[in-house]
Amino acid sequence: MKTLLIDVRRIMVSLQLTVVLLVFGMILVFAATLDQTNLGIWGIQQKWFRSFIVFQDLQGVTIPIFPGGYLVGGLLLINLIAAHVDRFKFTWLKAGIFLTHAGLILLLIGELLSGIFQEDFHMRLNEGQTKNYAEAYREHELAIIDTTDAKVDDVVSIPEILLAKGTVVQHPDLPFRVVTRAYYPNSFLQSPSAITPASLATVGLGLSVIASPQPVTYKPTETNLISAYVELISPDNSPGVFLVSTGLVAPQLFNYAGRSWRMTLRPKRIYEPFSLTLLKFSHDRYAGTDIPKNFSSRIRLKTSDGRDDRDVVVFMNNPLRYAGLTFYQAGFENNDRTSILQVVRNPSWLVPYVACALMSIGLLAQFGIHLAGFVVKRSS
Amino acid sequence: MCPQNIPAFVPYPRYFFICGISAFTLGLTGCGRTKVQSYRVPKENAASLPSAMTTAVPISATLGNGALIEPVMPLPNASATAILGPKVSKANGPVLTWKAPTEWAPKPLGAMRKGSFAIPGEGGALADLSITSFPGAVGGDLANVNRWRGQLGLIPITGAELADAVLRINANGLTINLVDLSSTDPAQARILGALVEYDGAMWFFKISGPGELVGTLKPAFVNFLQSVKVSSP
Repeated sequence: MKTLLIDVRRIMVSLQLTVVLLVFGMILVFAATLDQTNLGIWGIQQKWFRSFIVFQDLQGVTIPIFPGGYLVGGLLLINLIAAHVDRFKFTWLKAGIFLTHAGLILLLIGELLSGIFQEDFHMRLNEGQTKNYAEAYREHELAIIDTTDAKVDDVVSIPEILLAKGTVVQHPDLPFRVVTRAYYPNSFLQSPSAITPASLATVGLGLSVIASPQPVTYKPTETNLISAYVELISPDNSPGVFLVSTGLVAPQLFNYAGRSWRMTLRPKRIYEPFSLTLLKFSHDRYAGTDIPKNFSSRIRLKTSDGRDDRDVVVFMNNPLRYAGLTFYQAGFENNDRTSILQVVRNPSWLVPYVACALMSIGLLAQFGIHLAGFVVKRSS
Repeated sequence: MCPQNIPAFVPYPRYFFICGISAFTLGLTGCGRTKVQSYRVPKENAASLPSAMTTAVPISATLGNGALIEPVMPLPNASATAILGPKVSKANGPVLTWKAPTEWAPKPLGAMRKGSFAIPGEGGALADLSITSFPGAVGGDLANVNRWRGQLGLIPITGAELADAVLRINANGLTINLVDLSSTDPAQARILGALVEYDGAMWFFKISGPGELVGTLKPAFVNFLQSVKVSSP
């Protein structure tokens, strides 16, 4: 046992492991780049980098083929820390090297934290429109909303992954259970005819529209149309089986247990304690050409408690940072009347900056110490 | 950098630190965002909801991915009007006009149709010609042809196969793509569908009905398509 632990320690602190992991990292980047033609950028990030083991489907059999980014990066991080812990002996002459390595460790940790905590959303605002929420790019939610109250909506948000897993959802705010009868990560919606299979839906729009499963697409120019048949079950008088789909633009309405409900499968939302109103979107061009010079959005930022009510201008490389969120000018459409803001929540956004600063100071210090030593030696 | 002589293992507190970091890392990566959440929000303005919530236009629908749903039965209840998307054409720009044979009987226009005809055949058979338009490319030719194929129970085709399946008609400066789709069962329906992209909108001309009748209508339909032209509003 003792020998084994010594062996493990010997491996964890070795430079050989560092080299092997760096080679693995290079292979990982190369293979993922090639695989991008099949899966697209989002798909390969999940498969190759944000995983411990890369799995590949070979003619219906899923097998592990390579260590994933989390495993390689994690081992690299442990290797780096272990080597320092094992051989750490502080001397001022090596202070620069320690600082540089500390920066590197922080950079690896920062990337890990970003991978885990960063959330990307977008906010699409027409001129004059006000919103207090942003929407996710890829994640979806089944929102079941009690709209009975005249002033507020009570929302129960069920993540898409629970629909995919077929998890039965019983929530205290809902007078019924939500059971997924079918889930299609990509689908085709069509009218029912003599040839189409019978709809699973027993009520609502699913009686006039049928969802058929389609292969998932990873092409950047195509969108997966997610659909599901969900049954709302209660001890008596169950509402029935509904078709929900990201292709159905407006929600379904129904009454149950004396209350009014709205149900929709939509991009996941985050609500903010403030609202943004797009006052004006500007698309400046160089005079006499169609070459873009600048994109900017003049926005009114208003908090519900009246603490903030001011105009801000968001333009390229000048995001709005507010309440832990960063709003970047990301796009526009609708003949320059709609602005699209990318909304990023990343609690660890400062870590890479601090890491780079540490590494710079460390390198400067190390070279400075050597230079000073050299100068002193020469002059003596 | 690699030490030549590794000292014997000692349960040193430094290694607990490494183990702690590893466990923390693994724990974090295992975090999922899979919890059901509930929250209260101010009621959304009617203006910010999809237009169908406030404008009850019955029957036809535009889907979020641009594909169109055409009704084959009445929607079951009032809430079903909520399917209507925001992209329903209300174009005020230039429109297309056409000249239909006199034996094609005009029908009342629904909420979505720009033109509507009943075409009688032998033995009381009846075909339907619908003319609709929607802003944008509405998914493109391939998606729409595959939508029609789906209505006939045919498997989707690829872009390369579409090129072989399309008959291109030039009419008054417009390029019209015509497809002839029959189900494998001759007794079943047949579709002659034409797509025209003009001024940022997609126009659909579609004859559907019994296979035999629709087959006989093809030359007349091609003539009809050649009469299509742009007319200012």
